[in-house]
Amino acid sequence: MSAERYNRQIILKGFGEAAQQQLLKAKVLVIGAGGLGCPALQYLAAAGVGHLGIVDDDTVSLSNLHRQILFTTPDIGKLKTEVAAKRLQEMNPQIGIVTHPIRLQKGNILDILSRYDYILDGTDNFESRYLINDACAILSKPLIFAAVSGFEGQLAIFNAADNLAGSTNYRDIFPVPPDKGEIPNCAENGVLGVLPGIIGTMAAAETIKLITKTGEPLRNKILNYNLLTHQQYIINISQSSDYVLPKSVAEFLNMEYQDTCEAPHGYEEIDTIALSKLREQESVILIDVREKHEVPVLDKQVFTQVPMSELNAFITKGFSQKHVVLICQHGIRSVAAAETLQEKFGNSKKIYSLKGGIVKSRDYFMRP
Amino acid sequence: MEIEIISFGKIAEFVSNQKIDIAETTDTDNLKIHLETLFPELKAIKYKFALNNQLVQANSAIEQNDILAIMPPFSGG
Repeated sequence: MSAERYNRQIILKGFGEAAQQQLLKAKVLVIGAGGLGCPALQYLAAAGVGHLGIVDDDTVSLSNLHRQILFTTPDIGKLKTEVAAKRLQEMNPQIGIVTHPIRLQKGNILDILSRYDYILDGTDNFESRYLINDACAILSKPLIFAAVSGFEGQLAIFNAADNLAGSTNYRDIFPVPPDKGEIPNCAENGVLGVLPGIIGTMAAAETIKLITKTGEPLRNKILNYNLLTHQQYIINISQSSDYVLPKSVAEFLNMEYQDTCEAPHGYEEIDTIALSKLREQESVILIDVREKHEVPVLDKQVFTQVPMSELNAFITKGFSQKHVVLICQHGIRSVAAAETLQEKFGNSKKIYSLKGGIVKSRDYFMRP
Repeated sequence: MEIEIISFGKIAEFVSNQKIDIAETTDTDNLKIHLETLFPELKAIKYKFALNNQLVQANSAIEQNDILAIMPPFSGG
């Protein structure tokens, strides 16, 4: 180990050589190389965490770059884990970096997590968060939890006992995941790039504090941070008996971790608020599946007209947009169309049906 | 009885931070009913109460000037 690289933290009172050695020995897995994961990885690598793992199955896209600061424009289309590992290794060649370019699932998560001492959750969906929480609980791995919504962030450490009580986990706060549509995600709701930067950096700080036993890590506490006001509010987490946590690997493998952000049938019914937000996305097609004689007539520049009778031909021809919003008079045919598209495209496109159709949202469609 | 409410995330969009008179309500179970009447949007979202910075895991007595936080889960990253 080059002492010079870490000189400024080794000379820090209350940190020092012993803490640096603890970092060097630590094995930290960062799940999600996104808005939270990128800054967390940068600081953990720079600080000299000896063994870093990165989990992400995604590739870099243009809309990632405003917040996922390990990636550059020429990286678009490349695997996030590969780009991140290369950048981090250049920054600090003295540490070991392992990439896991996969999506964590029940069948593989216990094996991967068991190779690490600390888990940092920077994922972007409830399915992953509950999966990771439960896996960490079974394995008794300390979990650094970071999440954002709008202009706010949450930060907590689970499965790490403090002096006063035992340890707690995410289900002590929220026993079951929210239903679809209850909590908007970043893709729907938007996020200022610097917010996950702050929360991800704070997550790295908590990880370092936990490893080196420095200060008061947020064990059994959840911090709520507001970017707009800089207000911070810490809540003490106590144990709850109001949930079911798998107690064995067999029980874990029997748990349901379906993506609660999506309907079980693979498409999502949306309202006009979600529709407005979707229309701001880069790759959206709005399809009016009513027959051509139906009124009101919508702007054909905006709403592609594909009557149900022509839908199969349209699908066969193919189209490039990733988000597909289906609209009809009452929101019934558009559901049928959504099912047809779902069968054809599976998860390669995000499919939506406007609930209640044009009739229910007449004001939205009729305004100039 | 007056208490202070602090809310986060999506809940802050319809329950602003405020001092609120909760009338005859004296415990968190009844406060939940009271708040869901005042702010019906609360019924459609998962959230957790914290009373004076302590997560509420069972019905708890409320006292004058207590601070009640209403926290939804975040998943974004």
